[in-house]
Amino acid sequence: MSRVIGIDLGTTNSCVAVMENGQPTVIPNSGGYKTTPSMFGITQDGKRLVGHLAKRQAITNARNTVAAAKRLIGRRFDDPEVQKSIDLSPYEIVRGPNGDPRIKAGGKTFTCPEISGIILREMKRVAEEYLSETVQEAVITVPAYFNDSQRQCTKDAGKIAGLEVLRIINEPTAAALAYGMNRPGEEKIAVYDLGGGTFDISILDMSDGVVEVLATSGNTFLGGEDFDRRIVQHLVEWFEESEGMDLRSDTMALQRLKDAAEKAKCDLSMRDVVEINLPFIASDSEGPRHLKFELTRENLESLVHDVVEGTLKSVEQCCVDAGVQASDIDQVVLVGGQSRMPLVQRRVTEYFGKRPHRGVNPDEVVGLGAAVQAAALLDSKNDMLLLDVTPLSLGIGTYGGHFARLIERNTTVPVSKGHVFTTTRDDQSAVKICVLQGESDLAAENDLLGEFVLSGIRPAPKGEPEVEVSFDIDANGIVSVSARDLATDKEQSITVSSTGTLSDVEIDEIIEEHDLYEVQLRD
Amino acid sequence: MGQIFALASGCDATQLNLTATEGYLLSRFDGSTPWRVLREMAGIPAADADSCLDRWIDEGLLEAIRNSSDSNSSSSASSSSAQTDSDGEESAPVDAAEAPSETPPAPQIDESKFDEGLDLDLSVQRRILEFEASLDQPYHRLLDVEKGSSDPKVIKRAYFKLSKEFHPDRYFRRNIGPYALPLERIFKKVLEAHEMLSDPDLCQVENQSSTPSAVETVVALPATEASPEPSAEKPKPLTKLERLRQRMPFKIDQAAIEARRAKAQEIFRAAEASQKAGRLQEAEANIRIAISFDPACSEFKEALGGLRIQAAGARATKLLATPSERMSEGELRDAWKLLEDVLLYRPHDPELNERAARVCLQLGKLDVAEEYAQTYMEGSPEVAGSHTLLGRIHRERGDRDAAVRAFERALKLDEEDLDARRALASVRLGARNEAQGGTA
Repeated sequence: MSRVIGIDLGTTNSCVAVMENGQPTVIPNSGGYKTTPSMFGITQDGKRLVGHLAKRQAITNARNTVAAAKRLIGRRFDDPEVQKSIDLSPYEIVRGPNGDPRIKAGGKTFTCPEISGIILREMKRVAEEYLSETVQEAVITVPAYFNDSQRQCTKDAGKIAGLEVLRIINEPTAAALAYGMNRPGEEKIAVYDLGGGTFDISILDMSDGVVEVLATSGNTFLGGEDFDRRIVQHLVEWFEESEGMDLRSDTMALQRLKDAAEKAKCDLSMRDVVEINLPFIASDSEGPRHLKFELTRENLESLVHDVVEGTLKSVEQCCVDAGVQASDIDQVVLVGGQSRMPLVQRRVTEYFGKRPHRGVNPDEVVGLGAAVQAAALLDSKNDMLLLDVTPLSLGIGTYGGHFARLIERNTTVPVSKGHVFTTTRDDQSAVKICVLQGESDLAAENDLLGEFVLSGIRPAPKGEPEVEVSFDIDANGIVSVSARDLATDKEQSITVSSTGTLSDVEIDEIIEEHDLYEVQLRD
Repeated sequence: MGQIFALASGCDATQLNLTATEGYLLSRFDGSTPWRVLREMAGIPAADADSCLDRWIDEGLLEAIRNSSDSNSSSSASSSSAQTDSDGEESAPVDAAEAPSETPPAPQIDESKFDEGLDLDLSVQRRILEFEASLDQPYHRLLDVEKGSSDPKVIKRAYFKLSKEFHPDRYFRRNIGPYALPLERIFKKVLEAHEMLSDPDLCQVENQSSTPSAVETVVALPATEASPEPSAEKPKPLTKLERLRQRMPFKIDQAAIEARRAKAQEIFRAAEASQKAGRLQEAEANIRIAISFDPACSEFKEALGGLRIQAAGARATKLLATPSERMSEGELRDAWKLLEDVLLYRPHDPELNERAARVCLQLGKLDVAEEYAQTYMEGSPEVAGSHTLLGRIHRERGDRDAAVRAFERALKLDEEDLDARRALASVRLGARNEAQGGTA
């Protein structure tokens, strides 16, 4: 049996791990790095580059280099978050035929699962080179707040990469699995995951290998990149003030600024002051201009203070959902590169009243956890068990546009829940069941997963017929919904399995096309 | 190997000096399970189990019943058990309560279900079937915690222990055949038990009553705001209901709803003001907002309907000013669509129904036309025109008798109705011509 890998498909960086001799191990790529940039680029001569190679040429080829596609995956083009991305990305984002966002690079239009698929294929290749055997199965992580569509698209991306995705698990949960492995005793832990593009907080209960998710909360559009952006914005404003030149429309200058900002941000975690030095950032009739700026840690902290406070609001929400006080938490695990920032560590320490756990590497722990979950599923010797939960509430739309929740978010799966509904008009002969996912009390504000009609209800005054609607989520997270007329026992049901934007045919086409480029990807 | 043993009659197992494991093993001799299966379940090395067997046979505790002819066929197990029954042997001489390791009586398991071909130890198969058969126990029994115990740590530990045993993920991709369903059922029930026991309110309820099932009780709950029409009330234990209601799957914050309603009313009043001032678009937008704040209020929807009619009025008046007979087909279709829109809000308005009927008649949509005309006629049965219109539609459909009846009714109401008179004459004429044609 070939081995199963765990992949942390990050917004900015990805990481792959595998179980070796009962311990999860991160697999370094051919350059020796343990993480690989989640970037994909097409050069002027049509060559396709992934990872470090793509990142290296991002400055000179910003328009054809795709980064942070994870921010778009599984969303609608009209989604405000996507619109925000359009303003911020150097590459072009267009509306796809299904209303999904698509990315233009190198004269070709890519779907988001396709881009993520390219990254996953690279991670698969890294693992195969290291293990000297083919890899066909993986556990992939996503932010806890990904909805059904975003998860499905991530699965599609796996398919495009030639991987069968055994499970999609939440990043903080994966981190908890890696942390909790081989740890005896009972603990309540909080996982604070501030990555490149997303923020997640989860509270978990663990005891001798069983990990139970108590609650999870977060923000899919808040992460380290927001920190970079604040710095870039600050630099642009400062440059405009001192030099009278606007760099906002200069893509190359912006990309250089972004790189320098990211580096400065990382350096400031260790030092108190860094110098940002970008010679020849721009030029005009008076000749070339250089940017030289001293950024202090205090300076940075004042720029991003509100973002960090925003994360703590989510933490508070999560504690309420889990029914615990901050002081009940035994351990705080920090995940994601951005959690290295001293300001973040300080605020988290203040909030929980204890220092975060220092035993894990925030960049690698999620990938390690994915490998642990793979082993927990397939290796009978592995004693870990994850009691996973549904990320969002499920229910149906009812009369008056309300949303009737049948399964609350954070409910452990597998689970079944049922409730009896009735008609709202006399002699109503059919009811329409709209299956919805989301947290709003209004049906229209939630995501529609599917709908069906139960007909043949016997004529009766309103309120008399009884229709039992039951929801069932199996251990793989597949939702099925059935409606049964209690008088006639007539039943109608659907399985909400695929809400991805790509059909199987499309996926096969994409796989074929990428096989052609495989040679180029390898050099 | 495949031999079947039973406890010798008259032997009292409680008098023996046995270890817990031995007692458990001895309690398993039911006169139908082959030794090969029992040995698997013993939980001690096979050699030790064999030596126990030998000892007990020597001591005269056990008697061989018969040799199972085909040790691999699972069906032989069931047939053998049937045979022992008919032989009149004592099939289960050891009372389960006497077994030291069993507190609740072990339910009888149909061993024919065991399948050696599965990737599942026979002992695990038995455990799954036994546990499944005992799912109706009170929750604390299910989790094996003390009745009335509310220490969350104890409950959680029990829940984790059972999860480790029964969570479907523990059997991921293993060939467990028909055991997949029982496993899922067991885990869901364990989950339910944990949920109920870890909620102090529900815990008390559970301790009073015997075996509630969450699904059943939720089903019996009257619907709340979310589905405003409650289903027929069923007989129910009230206190439990009330407690359950507090943790219904869709809890609704009454205060928030009240706030939204108040806000909706406020916006609605603004809308009414704009409507009076003739700013219809603004009024419509406001009503829509009001509806989104309080979707259940029918007053708003009626007002929106009224507004729509008023707003569609300008277009409609122009369109409806032209008699439908003089409209082009495109115009007719537009008119029909417009009318349908408006009818959504005033489904019984006679005037609108009349227009709709005429337009559809003109378009040749006779079924729909008849529906509208019927509504029109029902709405104003004293108006001759309604009957005339219905009659014309009947005539178009070729239903001459119905047409004649309708025209006659129209004439009875209004002798001056020239339309009806002429139409009646032409129908009668047509009938006569046809009759003549027929005879000639």
